[in-house]
Amino acid sequence: MREITYGEALREAMAEEMRKDEDVILIGEDVGKGYRGCFGVSTGLFEEFGPERIIDTPISENTILGSGIGASLMGMKPIVEIMFADFIGVCFDGILNQVSKINFMSGDQFNLNLVIRLPGGSGGGTGPHHSQCLEGIFQSIPGLNIVLPSNAYEAKGLLKTSISLGKPVLFFEHKKLYKLKSGVPEQEYAIPMGKGRIVQEGDDLTIVAVSYMVEVAKKVSEQLKKENGVNIEVIDPRTVVPLDTELIGNSVEKTSKLVILEEGPLRGGIGAEVAAIASEKFFDFLDYPVKRIASKNTPIPMTPSLEKEVIPTPERVVEEIRDFLGLKKGLLIKD
Amino acid sequence: MEFSKALLLDMLEKMVLIRRFEEKVYQLATRGVVHGSVHLCIGEEAASVGSTMPLEKKDYILPTHRGHGQGLQKGADPNRLLAEIVGRKEGLCKGRVGSMHFFDKDNNNLGAQGILGAQFPIAVGVGLAIKLKKMDSILACYFGDGTSNQGTFFEALNFADMWDLPIIFVCINNLYGMGTHYEDTCNIKVHQKAKLYNMEVKTADGTDVKDVYKKMSGLVKKVRKERRPAMIECYTYRFLGHSAFDNRPYRPKEEVKEWKSKDPIKRLEAELVQQGIKEEEIEKIKDKIEEIIKGSEEFALGADFPIFDPSMET
Ligand SMILES: Cc1ncc(C[n+]2csc(CCOP(=O)(O)OP(=O)(O)O)c2C)c(N)n1
Ligand SMILES: [Mg+2]
Repeated sequence: MREITYGEALREAMAEEMRKDEDVILIGEDVGKGYRGCFGVSTGLFEEFGPERIIDTPISENTILGSGIGASLMGMKPIVEIMFADFIGVCFDGILNQVSKINFMSGDQFNLNLVIRLPGGSGGGTGPHHSQCLEGIFQSIPGLNIVLPSNAYEAKGLLKTSISLGKPVLFFEHKKLYKLKSGVPEQEYAIPMGKGRIVQEGDDLTIVAVSYMVEVAKKVSEQLKKENGVNIEVIDPRTVVPLDTELIGNSVEKTSKLVILEEGPLRGGIGAEVAAIASEKFFDFLDYPVKRIASKNTPIPMTPSLEKEVIPTPERVVEEIRDFLGLKKGLLIKD
Repeated sequence: MEFSKALLLDMLEKMVLIRRFEEKVYQLATRGVVHGSVHLCIGEEAASVGSTMPLEKKDYILPTHRGHGQGLQKGADPNRLLAEIVGRKEGLCKGRVGSMHFFDKDNNNLGAQGILGAQFPIAVGVGLAIKLKKMDSILACYFGDGTSNQGTFFEALNFADMWDLPIIFVCINNLYGMGTHYEDTCNIKVHQKAKLYNMEVKTADGTDVKDVYKKMSGLVKKVRKERRPAMIECYTYRFLGHSAFDNRPYRPKEEVKEWKSKDPIKRLEAELVQQGIKEEEIEKIKDKIEEIIKGSEEFALGADFPIFDPSMET
């Protein structure tokens, strides 16, 4: 299979849907003529679809998002790009009180198609206003689908589904994934909402990881396999709303141990929600208390000496999992 | 307005300080010593110095994401600002946040902004406190042309007008918000928006430090006395990319060339020479700044990185 980057996969998804359906448009700051997207994701789209469909806006997130909502009320299928996920604060009402509620409030007269693309993530020293992973906050707002693609294949398949879902989607991209390549078929495919995937099988421990943390989980599993003989099953739920509880349950039934790994802050995060679900539904399967690994409850610092302490680096994740399993470096799990 | 030789030389020194400081930051960024992104104000020094110099120590500022110049001119210690930018413990904010969002309480700098437009409502609150506490201070709230399109801008203009707040809104118009020309994002000039809200408004040639200084001084005097908001819009140009590593070709080459020919530092130097100031005197200033920047680099790179401690969690 050919390999393309996450950024290219997103671009292909948008371009293919735009060719199919005139109602699909892209709205955002510097998405078109000048910059082609802050991270280059929309390169070439302006040339192909022109200024009426690849729309550069003033720096006005509130109205950027609002215009997406309005256009979706009119039956269009807008993709709104908020340059950094962090800037969603500027247009919070649109999420909290408008788009999340319209389908319900209208008695299903409306089935809005609106994708809000949100590049997030830390690890590059961009500091407290340009590094956050905010999915945890938004999962507690009823009415939003929350999608977290973890590689190029996922990005393309999930974006194509999101564009015509008939429900609003917060589409969290990760800055560290944009340049990462993976296999993406040339033929048409889509990935459904709410169906997770087993990234790799194992029977000692389940890690549920989202977004870039899937990469970290893979790396960490490899190391723990080599150094401690631990066979880790990595689950990528793909979407946290809706959440593939069944897939997580099946895995925990097999491994009896559950770790949730995310980059957002620990308190009230994805891990907190999955842990609560696991204790309600899978208590009988669990041998150990559920473990959450996440960022500390601190704004994301710029300086590397602090940033690496706050976010879940592979080194920290390995340590925390060893502690969790009561293992020292070099000690095998079966010993 | 009369400009004494001493004042002109002082302005030159301040502009050269900012230029050399930014060049150092750029150099450190290319060496990988600066983490994340930095927004440099090379080319905009006249706007930074001309608009901040007329302020007094007791006055407040809210700088932009491109705010090193504004912060330095308000009195920030270049050693500690540079240490902040490279994330060291001795930095202004303990090395936590770097270039884009530095605070400098000792010099009444209430924090630069990573979130465009967030400064406007905050400015209203600062203005309100100055008013209620019956202080003699004023606030300079800085923003870029692009940022003036945030809705918060209009809300703040309205509050400042309705509540009679002593705020000068200082627009540093470098023609672009990232890759988009300001005329492609708004048909109304920034300063015209302030006129709608009954403010005293000035526009200035942001490559001419004297012009900016003269107009800002007038506004400072007026706002301090009348306790009413005002605005100044300074037209200028950033010589480098939006961030240190942006080299996307959204600006016409001729445009860049034209503005570079209006380099505010060269412009003032030429004027000084014309007024009979010796080249050596100018060189002396440059040497002095060279020493300061050398010292700052040594200080910053010699400082330790901060260590995480649990009290940072809330
Ligand atoms: C709320 C918000 N939206 C977008 C950005 C990304 N961004 C940072 S600087 C910038 C351009 C700002 O333009 P302008 O206000 O003219 O200031 P300049 O960079 O030209 O100094 C953009 C879009 C941001 N930091 N915050
Ligand atoms: Mg600008």
